[in-house]
Amino acid sequence: MEFNKILVPITGTKVDEEAMRLACRLTKKEKGKIWSVYVVTIKRSLPLDAEIASDIQKAEEVLDHIEMIAEEEGCEIETDILQAREAGPSIIDEAVERGIDVILMGVSYKKRFGQFSLGDVAPYVLKNSVCPVILYHQ
Amino acid sequence: MYIIIIGGGRVGYYLGKALLDEGHEILIIEKNAAFCNIITEEMGSVCICGDGCEAATLEEVGTGRADMLVAVTGDDEDNLVACQVAKYKFKVPRTIARIRNPQNEHIFKTLGIDVTVSATNIILEVIEKEVPTHPLTHLLTLSDKDMEIVEVRIPPKAVTIGKSIKDLSIPAGSKLALIIPKDHNPHLPTPRTILREGDQIVVLTTPETEKNLRTALTGI
Repeated sequence: MEFNKILVPITGTKVDEEAMRLACRLTKKEKGKIWSVYVVTIKRSLPLDAEIASDIQKAEEVLDHIEMIAEEEGCEIETDILQAREAGPSIIDEAVERGIDVILMGVSYKKRFGQFSLGDVAPYVLKNSVCPVILYHQ
Repeated sequence: MYIIIIGGGRVGYYLGKALLDEGHEILIIEKNAAFCNIITEEMGSVCICGDGCEAATLEEVGTGRADMLVAVTGDDEDNLVACQVAKYKFKVPRTIARIRNPQNEHIFKTLGIDVTVSATNIILEVIEKEVPTHPLTHLLTLSDKDMEIVEVRIPPKAVTIGKSIKDLSIPAGSKLALIIPKDHNPHLPTPRTILREGDQIVVLTTPETEKNLRTALTGI
């Protein structure tokens, strides 16, 4: 199974690295390309275009690290920082805009009220995506 | 413009949709989770589930940077509280409230709500304009002066037909401004002017004396 265009949303967790390596393996050699996005969620008390220096700095660091991994794997990658009220819809919009073939998301093990939880973003993407979605659970 | 809408019922839903189409940043606050889900699915992340009367909720959604807050829930009391919290705690420049009971309009104005919208009043005004037999029509409300301009039509068989204006007990706060007779030859009323059937009289009056004015001019 190989794809031309893969979108890898990054959250700055340990699972990002493995998800990116998997994405590189699933990308078609020479033709394939990976887009990696980090979504900075902006509280409603601030305008959507507010610049939160600490968040942007963290996003840049995370994306730089991801770019290094992609280079190690020999993959072409483009990274972007998105600002949105919620991560889920902005990931879907990005996938539609770029005509993505598959979204590959890394999900870490989380518990909410003592039960395993995927959080809010992964279920939203699974429900609303117009392309296939692969969840990588470490 | 950042506009907060309290209430995600039909009015809030369609208002939000229209404002989004116009390119405004909007947020709907709705108590009912099911309504919230419907709005979020159709319009994106523009709705949160919560009580728009609570200061904590309003703070969370950034009411402090809102340009306008519109309260359109089905409860006049909720709309009043939401608008007041927005106006006095978060200094929102413009607040608009929906009113169900037209009698609450005065209270809302007194408590500083900028604009009130009463569907009952709107329908009543349309009826007054559309039904020619209705003797009194509101033309303009001068809310800051607590006055209004109305038109009174003299109906057939009115007891005032043939009487001069000086013989009528026009309320003290009302001023007759213009008479438009059936022949469309408008003239300024004088104390000697005689009323005729079909005359349209434009009057500056107050909401309190409106009823007495109608009785004085038409006998109804």
